Parts: sequence; C-alpha cells; structure tokens
Amino acid sequence: MISAKHLKKIYRTHIRQNNILKDVFNRHYKEHIAVDDVSFEIDENELIGFIGPNGAGKTTTLKMCAGILHPTSGKLEVLNTNPFEKKHSFLKQIAFVMGQRNQLIWDLPATDSFILQKTIYEIGDREYKKTVSHLIDILKCKDLVEKPIKTLSLGERMKMELIAGLLHTPKLVFFDEPTIGLDIFSQEAIRKFIREYQYVYHATVILTSHYLEDVKRLAKRLIIINKGKILYDDSLSKIIEQYSQEKQIKITLSKPVSDKIVYDIKKPTHFAFPQIVFTVKPSEIPEIIKKISALLPFSDLTVEDESIETIIKTFFEKN
Amino acid sequence: MKRNFTIFLLFAKNAFRTTSQGRIGVFLFLIGKIVRFVFMFYLIFFIFQRTRFLKGYSFEQAALFYLVFNLIDTISQILFREVYRFRYLVTSGALDMVLLKPHHPFLRVLVGGVDILDLFLVIPYGVLAIIAASHVVTTPLQIGLFILLFINALWITTSFHIIVLALGILTTEVDHTIMIYRDIVGLGRFPIEIYKEPIRGIFTFIIPVAVMMSFPVQALVGKLGGTLIGFSFVISSCIFVGSLFLWNIALEKYQSWGG
Repeated sequence: MISAKHLKKIYRTHIRQNNILKDVFNRHYKEHIAVDDVSFEIDENELIGFIGPNGAGKTTTLKMCAGILHPTSGKLEVLNTNPFEKKHSFLKQIAFVMGQRNQLIWDLPATDSFILQKTIYEIGDREYKKTVSHLIDILKCKDLVEKPIKTLSLGERMKMELIAGLLHTPKLVFFDEPTIGLDIFSQEAIRKFIREYQYVYHATVILTSHYLEDVKRLAKRLIIINKGKILYDDSLSKIIEQYSQEKQIKITLSKPVSDKIVYDIKKPTHFAFPQIVFTVKPSEIPEIIKKISALLPFSDLTVEDESIETIIKTFFEKN
Repeated sequence: MKRNFTIFLLFAKNAFRTTSQGRIGVFLFLIGKIVRFVFMFYLIFFIFQRTRFLKGYSFEQAALFYLVFNLIDTISQILFREVYRFRYLVTSGALDMVLLKPHHPFLRVLVGGVDILDLFLVIPYGVLAIIAASHVVTTPLQIGLFILLFINALWITTSFHIIVLALGILTTEVDHTIMIYRDIVGLGRFPIEIYKEPIRGIFTFIIPVAVMMSFPVQALVGKLGGTLIGFSFVISSCIFVGSLFLWNIALEKYQSWGG
C-alpha cells in the first residue's frame, strides 16, 4: 500500500542577520533535513504507530505520503501512485485527520460541512446516510451535528472532524495527533472510534501521537523516528519485551499496615493506602510476591509492564 | 464540469450564509462601497462641468470607462474574495486540508468564497453602463470586440489572482501583494490616454492595466486598432500560462506551516 525508498525532505529557512539590508539583499539560508533517507513498507489493513519527539519528522513523512509535501529526493508510491501528482482517484481513497487542523465551516453546523464533503467525494445519498449514521453511532454524537461548529468544545469538534474526514470511507487514513488537547474521556472515545473504524472498513491506519497510550492501545506495529531517521520498525510487543527492564507489582490492601512491614519487603515506588506499587526486575518477581503473600493483607495484586512512556524513554536513551 | 460547478455553488452558498451572520457588517460594507462609487462618479461629472472632452472622450464615454472598470473590478471581487483570506490558510497550515481534496485547489482558494454582497452592486453598475453605452455610436462588430475584451480582462484578473496565491505560498505574503495589485488596477478607472509616456506604455505592455480596463471601451467606441486587439489576447494567454507555472512551483516549495 505504501512503499517509501530513501525518502528525504530538506526545508530551507532564512537566517536573520540582525541587519535589515543584509536580510533583504544578501539573504543567508539554512538547510534543515526533516526526513533523512527513510525507507519503509506498509501493507493493507495495518494499524501503525508512528512516534518520535517534536521535530522528529513524523508529520513531514506522513504529509509526503499524502501528497501534501513534495519529497526532496527518494521514491514514494502510495496506492500504486505518486502521491504528489494528487490524482483525484488517489485522493478519494485517503484521509488525513489532524488534531490541530480544522476543515469544518466555523459558523455553520457540521451537517453543512458533511454535505460539502458528500459532493466533493461524490458519495451517493444512500451511502452518505448510512455512513453518517454509523459514524455518529460509534461516536455517540447525534445531538452535536446540528449545532454551529463555533459552539462546540474541542472534543466535540474533533468528533465532527472525524466524521467529515472519514465520510468517504477511505482505504488509507493518516491520523496526526488526533487526541491532542482532549480530556481522558474524549481521548478514549477517539481511540475506540479509530479501532472500530479500522475493523469495520478494513482500512490501513497510520497514527502519530505524543500520547503513547494511543499507540499502545491501538497499534501492533511501531515505527520510531528521530532526527529524520527511522530508529525502530517492528512490533510493539517486541520493543516492550526488549526495553521494559522492570515490572510494576501493584497491590490493593484490604487492611492498613505499618510502613515498616512494607519497607521490609522492598522500598515502594508509591505507597498511599490502599495502593502500593513496587518496581522490580523480572528476576525478583517470585521472591517479592512470596513476601507480599506472607506479610500483606491484600484484595488485589497485578504485575504490569513499565509504562510505554518509560519504555520509549529507555529506547531513546539507548539509541 | 458539472461536479465542479456544484462544488462551486456549495462553497458560494456557505460563504453567503457565513457572511450574512454579521448584519451590521453587511450594512456598513454596502454603504461604504456605494459612497465610494458616488464620489468617483461625481468627480467625473465635476471634470465635465469644466470641459466638454477628456482626451477626446465625451462625458458618456468617460463614464463608460469608469463603469466598465467598476464592473470588471467588482466581478473579480465577487469571484476571488477568497484570495484575500488566503494568508490565514497558508500560515495556519489549513491549506493542507484543501490540497487533500479531490478537486482542483482553485475551487476553494480562488473562487471558494464568492462575495454575494458585491453582486448587489454589479446590477446598478451594469444598468448605468448600458445607459452610458446607449449614448455612444458603435457597431455590432465593436460590441462583439467589447464582449471579447471584457472576458479577456476577467481572464487577466484571474491570472493575477493566481499569481497572488502562488506568492502567498512562497512568501506567506498576500495582503500587501493584493493591495499593490488593486492600487495599480485602480489607475484604470479613467482612459489610459490621460497618462503620459512611458507610464502609458508600462500600463499597456508590462502591467497590462490598459488591456484590462481601457481596451474594451476603446474597442466599443472604435478607437482600438487590430494589432492591439491581437496583443491583448497574446498577453493574457502569456500571463495565464505564467501564473499556472508559478502556482506549480509554489506547490512544490510549499512547506505546510504550523504543523
């Protein structure tokens, strides 16, 4: 579905010289390599997490795949076409949903934007009604579509953006920070929506997000990019296995206990009745659990991996 | 074609619904335009109280220049109002969403914000122009040439607006470019003969204000030679091809700001 070979994007920016005459008549430019020799393949029906720090080159790569930006060099084929040619047949099969971009008409209700999309994408009446009703059902937002966009909250607006962006049921969807700035309930609703959309419409989904929880919950494959280069391209489980050096034992106490008993087992990373969290190496787990069973009255005990944020942080420290 | 026209109409409808939300703004906008028109018309009237001819043109002919200028200028504002808002699309990165749609981007960024308010002004300009033209001696051939050169003028304004869009992408500067364009085009309110050389030559052959604003009326009153008529169509074609070339370069250089 996507084949990128030695993809490169260089931005040219003007350097200010604190001299208005030089800035006008003798401009100096700096070249910034945003994407540097990136190659990857993406198959149909994959859901891929594309992560990296700010300025890593994630969005630039995605924008080249969508045909918004022209690559400086390299070969790119998306849905068997060169995306920058912007063929209408290609554009009808893709969608780019950006958490920081708005395509809805600010002063009018979302239905007006939906009707515009229906005309642009040449969606039949029956298909339009069916898709809108399905997407509204998944997002549970029937009461929002008739309100002017300017009166909606950020989370509500994002739901309308998703419907407007996906009305034509694209085969390939780029989600760029779809949960940015949203509260935890809205984040969860958007994640659920992405999962369900991909399942129902068999779409290929590429997701970038700074909320690694989005990626952990949705993606099976992970591409990590930094300073324009791909550092990791493999399964999410593999990176967790490889870089999760410690586990967390979480206990819910059934009765209060003294600090001494807890500290005799191991110094906790968190202790506030009824919760205790011990961070341990995998080899220590049997022994610690044995001690907990003997000394602590608990109603629940779970062993969890480190947070995805910690794992990715470890990955960046080691790479 | 039919689909493009339907999309164009939807954009126009949405633009009108958005504009009509601020009723006081609509009222002030219309009043401002009418006052400006009346003052300029009065200026022509005032000039002709002191002289019978302006560079060989009668009052009716001079009024026709002014009215045709207003018609071309207003039609271009009706169609290309969205160009005035283009800077925001570029600097906010919202242009990304336009480039992703399966229609030509000009449908959105060039003619996607039809200004219905100016449409109300075209009707009186048109009626007054017909009244002024009825006092001018002309032939069917001259009327035909006038229509062709009028369409040609609109074609040139289209090209100029495409150039403004391209420069908007390349430099993120739209407001000043469009103001410079409007100031220069504004010099075509009166017959080009009122300017001396080399200004007249510059406004004919380099910045074709005369081709846009003066040539249609000159053709109507039989004062435009065949060479200049031919030149009008050649220069409009060159500017159009050049504007599309610049637009394509701009798209290649587009950096998608604000991401």
